[in-house]
Amino acid sequence: MPGCSEGKPKGDFIGTTRRSNDPVNKKRSEKKSEFGRSSKGSGHAKAYIVGESPMVEEYANLCATKGYDVLVQWNSPVKPAPDFGRASIRQTAVIPPDVSVGIELTNNDSAVKRKNLQKLDKSLSPTVPILSSSVTVTAMEQAGWINQRHRLVGFCALPTFSEKSLAEVAPTVFSPKETIEVVRLFLGSIGKEIVLVQDRVGMVLPRILCQIMNEAAFALQEDVASPRDIDTAMKLGTNYPYGPVEWANRIGIHHVYSILAAMEHDLKEDRYRVAPLLKQMAQAGPWWKPE
Amino acid sequence: MVKHLGVVGAGTMGGGIAQVAALSKIEVVLYDINDTLLRQALERIKADLKKGVEKGKLTQEQTTEAFARIHPRTHLGDLGHSEVIVEAIIEDLRVKRDLFKHLEADSKPTTILASNTSSLSITAIASGVRHPERVVGMHFFNPAHIMKLVEVVQGTQTSAETVQRTADLAQQLGKTPVVAKDTPGFIVNRVARPLYGEALRLLGENVASVEEIDRIMKVEGGFAMGPFELMDLIGIDVNLAVTQSVYDQNFGEPRYRPHPLQKKMVDAGMLGRKTKRGFYRYDETK
Repeated sequence: MPGCSEGKPKGDFIGTTRRSNDPVNKKRSEKKSEFGRSSKGSGHAKAYIVGESPMVEEYANLCATKGYDVLVQWNSPVKPAPDFGRASIRQTAVIPPDVSVGIELTNNDSAVKRKNLQKLDKSLSPTVPILSSSVTVTAMEQAGWINQRHRLVGFCALPTFSEKSLAEVAPTVFSPKETIEVVRLFLGSIGKEIVLVQDRVGMVLPRILCQIMNEAAFALQEDVASPRDIDTAMKLGTNYPYGPVEWANRIGIHHVYSILAAMEHDLKEDRYRVAPLLKQMAQAGPWWKPE
Repeated sequence: MVKHLGVVGAGTMGGGIAQVAALSKIEVVLYDINDTLLRQALERIKADLKKGVEKGKLTQEQTTEAFARIHPRTHLGDLGHSEVIVEAIIEDLRVKRDLFKHLEADSKPTTILASNTSSLSITAIASGVRHPERVVGMHFFNPAHIMKLVEVVQGTQTSAETVQRTADLAQQLGKTPVVAKDTPGFIVNRVARPLYGEALRLLGENVASVEEIDRIMKVEGGFAMGPFELMDLIGIDVNLAVTQSVYDQNFGEPRYRPHPLQKKMVDAGMLGRKTKRGFYRYDETK
């Protein structure tokens, strides 16, 4: 199989691509990546990040904290680009040739996601992996959008979860074990262990969590209880870290809706229909907030 | 403020509720038809109060006074002075309906008749009484003396005053009340269903293993326990029964459909921690 398997992916993630013939530079990069040192200038592994807010900001900051030079393509039409306040995060639509990993973080708009992935695929060296959120579109379907499909691996990217120390990773049938290993090393370098899961819409955490939020929305629209009482009940009665209503607001109702709608479309069961209230809130923005 | 409380049923929940009330300086008549169960409940309460002293959470004086406030009885008529009676007997609609008829006959007209049911309809329990406006759900969570939540459940005919007085009592007991309409599963047992149902579906579809799903939900999701660990703790049979009940009461709504994997576990007698085998094994030395 071509591509990532050519890059001698032994040892650290950084050394798997163009630096495989440069042991000195490789060593430096490994060290900086491993210890998360950030400084100006070259010699740092570069991560190119594109996708939706707030995941782009979250992953840019996370990667920068762990010692990467981060290049961000800001393509949110509704939100102005943020000031990251870090020298190691730059905004650019140009993908330089020395990027070590491409990260695509779009869950809501599959047309935009497709365009982003095709651009990454065209610009990145063939040995560079693309880590793409596969919560609403399977990694397999995404791989079909690009030419170098062996390099795409799906993972679970949800707003507010970027700093968790575990990541669900969904390889495709085209993913050679070398690509998975490279992804494991990269995610390890930003503080995440990986769990390999089957490549399905919703993955594990989003599927369970968003269904809980959907059930809470059904209960709300039936006027079973107030939003505050639903949240209180789930926190005190079952020890949930957040109530489902406040949690959906933290993540962003439109993100939750996109995941539920994708599951409804993919699984085609009545069980997965989206609560009309939740759909309307995603369309209109929340008209109430938990007190 | 409630001064006299009746508790019907001296099982785990009834005993726990009596203990909480006695510690809140309420005189409690604890009723059970079975004298042995009553004695066992008192032993449990005594042991638990003793633990409270050992942990420094209670003084010896507090526990002695609290224990003296619990009056075990085997005659239903002894509940007559209670301002509120909380029922915590077997989850059987017919038995509960009969009991509520008797409670109504033996109590004052202003007495609130509350059920600790977790799965039955308050409206259905109240269907045999003359004044359903004073029948309400007061759903404590196990263990009742520790868990802070009380679901106050408003049946179709429950009055707003009854709901308010019940919520006030919950606060008097140091609990946090939430008010829910009488719908299957109320809040917690309904909104929690997808945690188990989707985890079982993911396992059934082989998306990830039991251990992986639990680990993802804990480390990535921030839950204190994974769904399979929780099912093992609750009892897989109990969890299935709750799911089945919510499913049936909703006339087969597919969101609540039980999963065959869970039924198979129950058929195999693998009920979780209590049988040492469930989704995990508990009979192996580590």
